[in-house]
Amino acid sequence: MNMDQERLNSMIIDYIDGKLNTVDKQFIEQELVNNADAYKLYEQLREVMHTIEKAEQLEPSAKLKEKFDDFLQSEIGQQKTKTVFFTPVWYRVAAAVALLVVGGGVGYWISQQNRNKQEILALQMEIETVRRLALAQMNNDESASQRMLGIMAVYESVQTNKPDDEIVDALVTTMNTDGNSNVRLAAIEALSKFTEEEKVRKALVQSLSAQRDPVVQIALIHVLVQMKEKEAIKSFKLIVEDEQVLPAVKDEAHVGIFKLS
Amino acid sequence: MTKSIDLMSDESLMEAVKNGNLQQASMLFDRYNKRIFNFLARMTKDRELAEDLTQNVFLRIIRYRNSYREGMRFQSWIYQVARNVFSDHYQAAKNKTSGFVDVEKIGEMMMDTQDSREQEEREKLLEKSLALLSDEQRELLVLTRFQRMKYEEVAMLMDTTVANIKVKVHRAIQKLREHYFQLERI
Repeated sequence: MNMDQERLNSMIIDYIDGKLNTVDKQFIEQELVNNADAYKLYEQLREVMHTIEKAEQLEPSAKLKEKFDDFLQSEIGQQKTKTVFFTPVWYRVAAAVALLVVGGGVGYWISQQNRNKQEILALQMEIETVRRLALAQMNNDESASQRMLGIMAVYESVQTNKPDDEIVDALVTTMNTDGNSNVRLAAIEALSKFTEEEKVRKALVQSLSAQRDPVVQIALIHVLVQMKEKEAIKSFKLIVEDEQVLPAVKDEAHVGIFKLS
Repeated sequence: MTKSIDLMSDESLMEAVKNGNLQQASMLFDRYNKRIFNFLARMTKDRELAEDLTQNVFLRIIRYRNSYREGMRFQSWIYQVARNVFSDHYQAAKNKTSGFVDVEKIGEMMMDTQDSREQEEREKLLEKSLALLSDEQRELLVLTRFQRMKYEEVAMLMDTTVANIKVKVHRAIQKLREHYFQLERI
């Protein structure tokens, strides 16, 4: 039998690997006895393959594990602190807002002390400017992230105060009409801070029928259940009966009805 | 508790990671870091670089955990990630290096010096010969011979048939043999 070189190579490799059937095995053994070139090939292949087989596994240094552990812990840490507002840009806004709040506090303290009235005026103007900027950002048609920034700024700045009508109206409008689901979610999150306000409660209940994105619907249902708003039951029932609504949302509405009833 | 984690399959651990239990990634790291490091060390011929790239593989596994699909074999997935990390590095480095392989340095760089002298010499020769193969041939040998992955698994990883992988592996061994005995004569 005259076999080509590639086939002979392949069979010898299988022979070394112990993968030949009895017939092929006998054939190759015969070939190795009769054919000196084939035997040389066999010896060389065996040396290379055995060297690979015996090659030590390489050991990574201890640094690899240390670096991985550090990375994992930092990821776990980040996971814990993540909220709706988690992108780095929020940190900058939060810092700006914190500055604003501190500014407001300082302004208040100064007024209490009846100190320099001009300084108070300047600070109040600054606060008003930032507030205006935040509201303007919420109206930025070009960029959803700018609108999110605006909501975040508002959200942070009114933490210690009652929100004014202008802010509530802007948030409600955003919640109901913004084209971006994430922006609407942020508006709901911000409004959920002011659920003491009757106006806000009403707006949240009414908004449920206007929302079509399931993620937004579910977020809204959660907020309404959390604020124990019995008025929402009617809207929940409508959702349960609506054939267009996703089953997952209906499930949430069911749970909502159960909890509020 | 520890025992039950030890018994968990790679896939269950990865599902847990995907669902937010990041600590379980530590177990996957323990199971796979050495194999992935060996794969990358043999592919890059540079141990230090291989450590950095191994770190990147696990970083991607965690950061892109949501792209892990349920039912997917974890081993195939992590090797796919490792191949991508290597390929990304190779693409980035391509323009910076000439592609010239200094076979003399490679043997030294890759060795752990605990073997017998003869095996040590052979391994040096082997590493030099491996470095002379194409990336594809080297990868096939690293996966099937050094990492002892089955042809079926490699075929799945490379999206081809088992028969095709077998032919290619045998050709790669043949090529390796040629380089090995040519270098031996020098």
